[in-house]
Amino acid sequence: MVEVKPTLTDDQIMRFISEGFVLLEGVIPDEINRLIPKVEAQLPREFRDSREFVHGMLLHPEVAGVARSLLGPDMLIPDAADVALSKEPHTGQTWHTDGLPEESYGIHHLQCFYYPEAVGPEDGPTVLLPGSHFRLVDREAIAHYGDIVGQIPLVVPAGTVAITQYGLWHRAGPKLNAKPRQMIKLSYFRTGPPQRDWVIDSEEIPEFAKQATHPYTSEIEGYRDTARCRHTWDWLCGLERSSDISRSGKMFHPPRQLQMVDG
Amino acid sequence: MMREAIRGWIEASREKLGTGTLGEGDLQRLETLVAEPTQRILYLYSRSTNMRARIIGWVLYDPTCPDEPKLPSQDSPYPSVIDAVRDGWRIVQFPIPELREFSEVDNRYLGYEFVLEKCETVANGQNGEKNG
Repeated sequence: MVEVKPTLTDDQIMRFISEGFVLLEGVIPDEINRLIPKVEAQLPREFRDSREFVHGMLLHPEVAGVARSLLGPDMLIPDAADVALSKEPHTGQTWHTDGLPEESYGIHHLQCFYYPEAVGPEDGPTVLLPGSHFRLVDREAIAHYGDIVGQIPLVVPAGTVAITQYGLWHRAGPKLNAKPRQMIKLSYFRTGPPQRDWVIDSEEIPEFAKQATHPYTSEIEGYRDTARCRHTWDWLCGLERSSDISRSGKMFHPPRQLQMVDG
Repeated sequence: MMREAIRGWIEASREKLGTGTLGEGDLQRLETLVAEPTQRILYLYSRSTNMRARIIGWVLYDPTCPDEPKLPSQDSPYPSVIDAVRDGWRIVQFPIPELREFSEVDNRYLGYEFVLEKCETVANGQNGEKNG
């Protein structure tokens, strides 16, 4: 069995709770990026099971380390690998969340966006809205939104992985050229109860430190975000366990168990 | 108002006809005068219901422009709703705070949504004077 070590500290966990994502720029080496088949819809089964992909990408110490920090030692790792491959210029997608966002305060499901090749500003970069994972909305009812202050186009080097809390608002940005842009979506899931078992330097659990307000939030929305972040922090530290806030994530793709992966 | 403008055009054109100077430009002007105005819609998301509050999101729906990719921007077309009104946009829908359910922890949709319009005539595929 493979052991994955957590990589995030208290401060980084708090930051993730507020932002809803971690960006690991260029972490996957080129020898793995180059192997990714230029296919649409789904990476082939054989490639998904290959040692290079499982160990070089899914269990990459930095990527899996973030997932392990947020989901615990019994996390499930991706089995499916959805591919979004766009070639022609387009006006971009509308803002949306994937599937059904989760009401829970907990962190049960991380969705990764992996870019095997560099993405430039005109290549249709994914655009994220930090902090939007707390906003439970009907995806079709935000489809008329346009630019939002604080949005982040993922203009990134090859081998970048954005690890997001499922529910984060995102969209494919406008694409002005015919250069192929490939993005692969991968999901990690929690199976066990949370505890503060990431990188810590003291057994004493710190209070959640108020994070920077997102530029698009009003004053009262900022208070609500902080209140919600505190619940999530307490939940992750194992301090808050009421059943109404710990509903588990929806595993729409069957994941694979870490114990099944050869070391 | 349009009728008055057309009368003015006829009068001016009669004189030009007499001097033999009526041309394509005059016909284009007539075309503009009789064209139906096109509605453009601007959504502005304000930080509060106050029209002087800062804009935090925006989008322009302009049926006279082709659907072409446009790079994301961090720069609002106007600092506030009142600035857009000053520039000729008319508000067609105000935000309704009563529709928002109060919660201590849950935020939902973005900001306070003002919907504005401008109706302008467009001739020969040329947009009228536009801002935003």
